[in-house]
Amino acid sequence: MPASASSAPPPPTHSRREDLIGRLSSSSSEAKLKALRDLKNQIIGNRTKKLCFLKLGAVPSVTSILSSSSATAAAAAAGSVCSGNDVELNDSLIIQSAAAIGSFACGFDDGVKAVLDAGAFPLLLRLISYPNDKVVGAAARSLKFIYQSKLAPRYDFLQRNNMEFIQSLLNSENENVTGLGASIITHSCWTSMEQKALSDAGIIKKLTCMLGGSVTQKDASLESLATILKGNPEVIAKFTEPENGGALGTVTELTKDKNARTRLLACICLIVIKNSAPSCLQDLRIKTKLILILLELLDDDQVGDEAPFALSSLIAEKEDLQVLAFEANVIDKLVNHLRKAPVLSRRLEGILIALANMCSRLERCRDRLLSLEAMKFVTDALSQDSGEVRAAACVCLKNVSRSVKNLSAGLFMNESFVAPLVQLLFDDLTFVQVSALDAISNIVVDFLAHKTMFMKCGGVKQLVQLSKSMDVTIRVKAVCALRNLTFLVSDKCKEEILSELTQLTLRSLICDPEACVQEQALALVRNLVDGPLDSIQHVFAEDALLLHAVGQQLQSASKAEVLIQGMYVFTNVASGNEVHKEAVMQELFPPLANECESIMSKFLHSDDSRLRTAAVWALVNLTFPSSSGAFGRVMKLRNAGIVSQLKNMVNDPCLDLRVRTALGQSVTSGDGST
Amino acid sequence: MPVRVVETSSALSQPSGGTSGNTLPSVCTLLSVGQAFSGTQNVSSQQKDEAWRVNVRIQGCDLDHGYLCGTMEALNVPMADTPVVTFWEGEIVDTKNYTFFTGKWGATSEDDIKHWTKFPSFSPLLSQVDVDGGKSLDLNNYPYIFMRWKEQYFVNVGTDCGLTIAGFYYVCFSSSDGSINGFYYDPNSSPFQKLELKSTNEGRLGFSFSSYELQ
Repeated sequence: MPASASSAPPPPTHSRREDLIGRLSSSSSEAKLKALRDLKNQIIGNRTKKLCFLKLGAVPSVTSILSSSSATAAAAAAGSVCSGNDVELNDSLIIQSAAAIGSFACGFDDGVKAVLDAGAFPLLLRLISYPNDKVVGAAARSLKFIYQSKLAPRYDFLQRNNMEFIQSLLNSENENVTGLGASIITHSCWTSMEQKALSDAGIIKKLTCMLGGSVTQKDASLESLATILKGNPEVIAKFTEPENGGALGTVTELTKDKNARTRLLACICLIVIKNSAPSCLQDLRIKTKLILILLELLDDDQVGDEAPFALSSLIAEKEDLQVLAFEANVIDKLVNHLRKAPVLSRRLEGILIALANMCSRLERCRDRLLSLEAMKFVTDALSQDSGEVRAAACVCLKNVSRSVKNLSAGLFMNESFVAPLVQLLFDDLTFVQVSALDAISNIVVDFLAHKTMFMKCGGVKQLVQLSKSMDVTIRVKAVCALRNLTFLVSDKCKEEILSELTQLTLRSLICDPEACVQEQALALVRNLVDGPLDSIQHVFAEDALLLHAVGQQLQSASKAEVLIQGMYVFTNVASGNEVHKEAVMQELFPPLANECESIMSKFLHSDDSRLRTAAVWALVNLTFPSSSGAFGRVMKLRNAGIVSQLKNMVNDPCLDLRVRTALGQSVTSGDGST
Repeated sequence: MPVRVVETSSALSQPSGGTSGNTLPSVCTLLSVGQAFSGTQNVSSQQKDEAWRVNVRIQGCDLDHGYLCGTMEALNVPMADTPVVTFWEGEIVDTKNYTFFTGKWGATSEDDIKHWTKFPSFSPLLSQVDVDGGKSLDLNNYPYIFMRWKEQYFVNVGTDCGLTIAGFYYVCFSSSDGSINGFYYDPNSSPFQKLELKSTNEGRLGFSFSSYELQ
């Protein structure tokens, strides 16, 4: 009969883990030490197990061991009698508990939070001055992991004692300790004042020395150097001066290191230098070399995800670098990576952002990307699970569609682009919505009169919804998209846009509390009343609700961009018939405001030549020679002091010549008539 | 047959192309995005007199890069059933991005001078252009804007439509009256085909301006 106690099933996993937690509180030091080792072995590199033990309260138990063992050590140092074996066992407890804490913190923010909450951080920091080098190494290693998280406390370099502490860390013979010093800098150096303080304290020199050390030291040093140099030409100048032992040359050499991560970090360091102090890296060969190294690193398993981001920071907003990258076939190589399906999220995001940067300015880059038929990868990415990837695809599409040549060919106004983009307007993530709005803003410019396709996909309805968002960025971008959609659009489309938007909503957008929204809303109205003469009627609907709103905004706004758009609305309306022109006169010169300086007079005096030009175009239309009421309006303008003001402006060099000529005619016709 | 233009390092299409649609300082508001022109192109040959009606619309403008682009619609083209629309890109002779010397599209400096001198407004500049292509001239306040317009593709018909866009236009825009004159240059077409355009206001008693802003 098979029936004995030994055949009982093993305890379930959960109770085994609880048992381990229980052993951490054992009265026997040996049992505790074994439990710590078991715990450390179980959680190392295993996120799921880290989370399990975290929930079971392992971190406070381990911290408690670290705390009591540290106290025992301190007592021994103060003269308590301990045997050599006791000291060794106690040190082992410290080392193992510090290591377990480090494992919890390594690459796991929930673990870092638990470690900080349990109070382990100051205990570890104190151990840095412990006499046993192994203890110091274990504590430093754990602190380094904590400092790799954004949750770690920020270190204040501006306090003198703190700077001395950093110096002492970097002076250490212990590699973990110097690594800790570098990690603290990478984590905590944010401001140019901190960068300068670190540079003045000779930290750069110490970090430069570390560049000749082990792989860990090189990498830690390169990361810290990039942090201290970033955006600070003054510190960069100090770093690159010959007295600094040819540090720049050493970093440049490290771009050829056999370790991929070192090569990447050296490239990032040089990019940081190049971006803030271009004169330091003028050699074309270095720039090309950086591009080639980063392309090569794209293939690396360890750093391949980060390489395209580094490439982006090298080429972003810099046409000369984009030309070099284009000549180095960057677009083809990035697209080849996209063809190697499946590309994981982080890498896909990086490649899309790099392609977006390549296409931000140069038409030839956009042409190349399109000729490689790579846009299908971009449209696929619009519906990826990762929000970052969706946003990156939108940015790429936005930059490719900056090409008027391709917009004019109607390349983007088709369902494969428009349908997923409209869907992204409903995205849960705001940053994805913002990116989608940017791409849509460009695509709807479409010169081929295919704008109805965007409407059929439900785009207008959602843009109108977003124009009512509480988030000002979403609101302004939604209105901008509607403005671009209204550019040279058919009357039928204008009707549709307005029926969705309504006069009341448009009026509230013109009067929005944010000037940037007002500007876009007025530009939208300006487009609305452009085109066939009948379009002007849109601002006269509902008792000229929109026309009055524009007038009110011109009376009260102060930002030139808002006033310019408002004046062009009036210019366009004033290009209509007599009723239209008279209505504009009423808005510009309200009957009850005779005593005050008119807005027209103010705008003609403006320092901004664009506003002066807009105002004069309105006057050109109001006094258009073939309009029957021109003479009466010239008289009114004369009485308001505008004509004499105009006479002084005839030689305004900032006004374009056509306006000056027309002005001359108006003024002359007025003169001749009196 | 359409021939694609060889891109030079500065022939760029910029995001600000649209932004400059009346929101950035403009050489001339009538040359900003959305503006329309209409007129004729004389295509007479030795055999017969002929002129096509032409509409032009400015679609993009990037003054920093001396770039302008738009569409050109030829209305009564004998071989075509519908109006033929082409997309063109323009180089503004601003002496910074571009000089009077074309240096491409098969045009020699002699061809350039021969065409530019067809514009009376060019004569005061001739002597300096002879020296350096006009590099040292300051054309900022000159009442005329000189350009080259090169058609890049057919928008609404195939390349088998029997028409060619192999050549390019020497263009002169008058800032004072908004008119455009041009001469088509293509060694394989009738020489000096004249383009004459005037700013249109679509039935309005005045001028109207629209704008867009690329992100």
